[in-house]
Order: sequence, then C-alpha cells, then structure tokens
Amino acid sequence: MVVLRAGLCPGLTEEMIQVLRANSVRTVVDFVSSDLEDVSQKCSLSYKALVAVRRVLLAQFSAFPANGADLYEELKSSTAILPTGSPSLDQLLDSGLYTGEMTELMGAPGSGKTQVCLSIAASVSLGLKQHVLFLDSTGGFTASRLYQMLQAQAEDEEEQASSALQRIQVARVFDVYEMLSALQEVRDRLSQQAVSCTGPLKTVVIDSVSAVIHPLLGGRQSEGETLRWGLRLMAKCCGVSVWQVTNQVTRDSSTGLLKPALGRSWSFVPSTRVLLESKGAAWEEATTRRSASLAKSPRQPTGMQVELDIGNSDVQEPSPATPTEGL
Amino acid sequence: MRSPLPPPPPRFRAPLRAGPSAARWRWGGGGMQRAVGSLPLGPALRARLAAAGFQTAQELLDTGPCGLSREIGISKEEALEALQVVRQECSGDAARTAGGAGTTRKCTALELLEEEQAQGFIITFCSALDNILGGGVQLTKITEVCGAPGVGKTQLCMQLAVDVQIPECFGGVCGEAVFIDTEGSFMVDRVVDIAAACVQHCRLIAEAHQEEDHQKALETFSLESILSHIYYFRCRDYIELLAQVYLLPDFLSEHSKVRLVVIDGIAFPFRHDFEDLSLRTRLLNGLAQQLIIIANDHKSAVVLTNQMTTRIGQSQSTLVPALGESWGHAATVRLIFHWDKSQRLATLYKSPSQKESTIPYTITPHGFRDVQPPAVTQNTESTEMNPRKRPRREEEK
Repeated sequence: MVVLRAGLCPGLTEEMIQVLRANSVRTVVDFVSSDLEDVSQKCSLSYKALVAVRRVLLAQFSAFPANGADLYEELKSSTAILPTGSPSLDQLLDSGLYTGEMTELMGAPGSGKTQVCLSIAASVSLGLKQHVLFLDSTGGFTASRLYQMLQAQAEDEEEQASSALQRIQVARVFDVYEMLSALQEVRDRLSQQAVSCTGPLKTVVIDSVSAVIHPLLGGRQSEGETLRWGLRLMAKCCGVSVWQVTNQVTRDSSTGLLKPALGRSWSFVPSTRVLLESKGAAWEEATTRRSASLAKSPRQPTGMQVELDIGNSDVQEPSPATPTEGL
Repeated sequence: MRSPLPPPPPRFRAPLRAGPSAARWRWGGGGMQRAVGSLPLGPALRARLAAAGFQTAQELLDTGPCGLSREIGISKEEALEALQVVRQECSGDAARTAGGAGTTRKCTALELLEEEQAQGFIITFCSALDNILGGGVQLTKITEVCGAPGVGKTQLCMQLAVDVQIPECFGGVCGEAVFIDTEGSFMVDRVVDIAAACVQHCRLIAEAHQEEDHQKALETFSLESILSHIYYFRCRDYIELLAQVYLLPDFLSEHSKVRLVVIDGIAFPFRHDFEDLSLRTRLLNGLAQQLIIIANDHKSAVVLTNQMTTRIGQSQSTLVPALGESWGHAATVRLIFHWDKSQRLATLYKSPSQKESTIPYTITPHGFRDVQPPAVTQNTESTEMNPRKRPRREEEK
C-alpha cells in the first residue's frame, strides 16, 4: 500500500491529496478501488482529472504480463548453474545450484550441515573463481577447516588457496535485524554494480536461518515474514543462488520422524530441500558417512538419495574402504 | 525479553522540524529503500505504519516527526525516537554500501584464518581430550558438555576455570573466568585443590626451563590470584539465569580480561516447572544467540553443561542430551561424557573441524587428567654391550 504523495504522478497535487485524505482516500489502493464519480462529488474535484490520475497510477503500480517464450529466453540467458564440487550432490540438485533460486539443507545436530556449506563455499570460490558471501549466525564457521578443504582441492598451490579464501566474505549476523541489513546491503551492492565484472557475487550461503528465526517463533513479530520475502527477492532479482541451512527440530509425535523446524510456512520459500542424515543409529557409533535425500525439488523426483562422506578433506562420495586420513 | 528497540535516547533538544516540506536529507545509495518491515521497531508501531500505508524508510523520513505522529496517532516523542532508529539503520546501511567499516562483523575468510591461528586454546590438562578437541577448548565458540550425573562435568568446569588463568608463557590464555552456577555444585575447596595442583605443575615447568618470564609469571600466578579471578554467580531459577546472561555483556566490558564463561547446569532451571514448551524453546534459542554474541564479541569461550534424558524408542531406549532437538543446534562443539563399566569416556559428538572420537579420562585429587597407562614392567636394558666396557667379573679379585 503506497501512500499518496504529491509528485507521485503528474496531476496529483498537494491540495488534491489533502482533500482526498479528508475523505479517507490515503493510499494508491484506496484511490484505485474507489468509485471515482462518488469521490469527485464528495471532494468537488474534476472527474476527468481523477480518471487521468487513476490511469497513470495503474500504469505505474500494476504488474505487466510477460509471455512464456520471453521468460524462457530471459531464463536461458541469465541463469547459471554452479556445480557444488561433489558429483553426487550435483546429481541430487540436477547438476548444481541454480542462480535465482534458493536451496535448503536440513539435518539433526552433528549431521554435517556446516561441513557441506563450507565445502560448497570452497568449491565455488576455488573452482569457479566466484565470490561467495557466507552469513554465519551460529558461530560454526571455522576458517581452518575451510583452508584444509581448499588445500585438498587446490593440490598444494598455496596462493590459489589463499586467494580463494579472499573471495569468501564472512559476515557474522547473530540476530534477525543484522541478517536483514546484511541482505539489504547485498541487494544495494549488486544493484549498483550491475554490469561490472570485479567481484561478481553469485552465491550466498546462510548458516543457519533458523538460529535467527527461532527466538521469534510463536511471538507476535513479523520479521520471519520479512526475511522470507527478503531472501526470495534477493535470489530472484540479483541472480544469486542462495544456499541456506535450516535445522531439524521436532520429532513428529505420531511417526517419530524428524521434521524440519520453522514449520510449513517456511517450506514454500526454498525451491529445493535436501535432508542430511547420519548413517549411524545413535551417537555411540562414530561414522563420517552421511546420506542426503531430496525432500522437495522442481526438477528431480523426491526421495532420491545419495551418500556423502564428510570426514575427508572434502565432501565426497564414500570410498569403499573409509580412509583414516584427514583430521 | 530483549526488546528490538535500542534504549531510548535522551530528550531531543534540537528545535522540532517544520513538517513534511522541511529540508529533505539527500542520501546516496539504495539504503533508503529499506522496507519498513525490516527495521528494528516494535511490532505495534510496525503494524500501525503498515496500516497507514508506509512501505519504505524513505517515506518515513520524508514525512517527518510531526506528520508521522499525526498520521499514525502516536506522541511526538515516540515519532522522534522511531525516526532516530530509522535514520541510524539507514546511515549504517549507506556507510556499509560505500565500503566503510560499519558495525557488522564482516571480513574475508583469509583474515578469519589468521585470527584463528593466532588464538589460543584453554587446555584441560587431559592431553587426550585436548587432542580430540584440536588443542583444547576453543575461544569464540560454545562448547556443551553432556553427561549422566556424577560423570565429571562440574569437575571439568572447575578445571577450566583454573586453566584459563594459566599465563601465556606456560601455554595458557591468561584470562579470567565467570562461573554461573544453577545447581549449587560449585565447591570452593575442590577448586583450591585443583588450583594448587596447577600452580605446582607450572612451578615444575619453570624449574625445568629456568627462563626469566616464567619466574615473573609465577609471581602473579598463585592460589589467591586464581581464586580472586573466578567471578561466581548463583542463579536459582530460569529468570535469574536469563537476566544474568543478558546483563553479562556489561559485566564483560568492565572486566575485559574474562576469557571463559561457564554455565554449570543450563538444563536444570528449564526442566522442571515449565508448562509452556514453546516458550521454553523460544527462551532457550534466544539464550543461545545471546551466548554466541558474547563469545564472539568478547573473544571468550562459553562452556555449558547439560543433563541426559532417556528417549524411549520402539525397541530400545537411548540416553540423549536433554532440552530437546532444537537445543542441539545451539552449541558449536558437543562433548558427551559417559561410563563404560567403570571407565569414564568422553565422546566428541559435534564439531566443525574435528572428527568424532572417544577417549578415556579420569578424575584425580588434582583434577581432570588423562588415564595413566599401567606401569610398564622394566624391560632388560640394552643387551648390546658397550665395547669400551669389558666384563670385570673374571678380573675382579
């Protein structure tokens, strides 16, 4: 709802606005949806002027239909697919992370979500030489582990690993307002440097979204909604792929299965959801094997499952004999 | 709970502005297009702004305080405060976009790596545990220790409160400790034993190495100084605990040498007498975020202890950490202490940089220690004869 202001369109003067406001027409929606004959009588304004203003307002504020072929062309030219560095994860995501979309990773504590995030940041930065923004809200970002992964991938090239580290920007945001300002900053920066090639930001990794939203759930605040909207907008308009982590919280009391936190309303936000689980039954069995299964995807059949090994210097497919190297 | 609005500024003494037509501030950058929903204002105020049709921060600033108070029916002082918050947020945004330092904690991964490599660890005096943790308890992270009653969680906390004070020349971080006790299990005489053993250990090292800075550090590292640098708080219920944690940043800015915050028994106040489980989850998550902010801003380690509870499954029941699944995400590093017949074991269950593993440990009168291997029977000395020594047996007379 946009408030009517002088100068919003030619023909909308300050006096007109005052008179309209006196008759409780304050926003564009009120104006456009009201009966103009009625309004012109009550406010003693010219009917023609009101109709002209309405036409301009509708042209300014309504959405334009686009045809499917144009959309497809635009999508083909603007979308990039970023491989995650792990072939089995790429297979799950239909060859990688798509820009303009959000992918979500969920899992129980200790299932390896931060490891997967670090590995994606490492491979995008090293392999594709793109900039990555890592929003850390849990304090789990460990630069030495990231360096270890980069060293393993870069095959002993010191400068490659350290220049890859420089391309990864880490912002520590521990509360929802800080996260919203960080996202706003990304949007502003990207809109300003629309065509420049220095520092192209293509991936935003958020670890984790639920850490900032959880303290608000059940309360009366609407920051969760703003965050949802902010993330989607950023992904779509800035051509950035967003990889976010949510946490699994509750056990469904009827089935005893783990289900994602943040509830059903959040499930509409990401386009792809991946569930990460440990292969061992409980914490007594220590293992580095994890299974990733697809819970929601626009392109692949759900229920697809692949195996990952987070113990090595990289997130990879498990080799038949688990090596004891690494950490 | 912590209100999203910063503390109200002192009474605004500058002359009030004339109204919407007053001089407009010109800002560069898109920070002005920030949606009203994303600004840290109270929910009631935000609801009124939405109902009145305000969408972006720019519109709010253009309207000015008089216009705003008239439009949405709040007092002029409230309107001024709200606009101050908005202006602060947007100027912060503009500074950040322009590449200024800003207040967000933002840096490249390379800088973080250098910071991490320069950071110390808090050792536990049990070398096996230090190894699986990657050097010891890490600063700027939350470590959670879970275990059944009597397995040694409070002992480890007391040991860490002493170990954080070890001077840097002996390999410590030379910091102070805050101990928040909710269960009443802190025993001062036990801390005296642990501290005495620690001082003795350092004295032995100093004697072996005979360096000047070791001698100087030993002068200040004594039993009295150790005990005087442990700040002890006793919280009897969850409200006192929450209040203490939210007031901790002020305490820590006065005592800037604190490097360890221990909360012994985070489960206890939240587990009994809590009917509303969703409120409990919300409070715990808010607490976790506050602790992460403390750990990060003051470069200190936060250590929490948690109880265990039984999860009854279909065919068997397992012991799992208490406070539910969502609490499992709060801690960065999770250690589970358990028994195996009569041996105490520690398992590293969750860590961002170390592998899962299990080690044995023991608790001695001196504190938390490694398990000593059984005395190796004296093997025969080198059987090879030293050629310069010849057997004298026959020649001795």
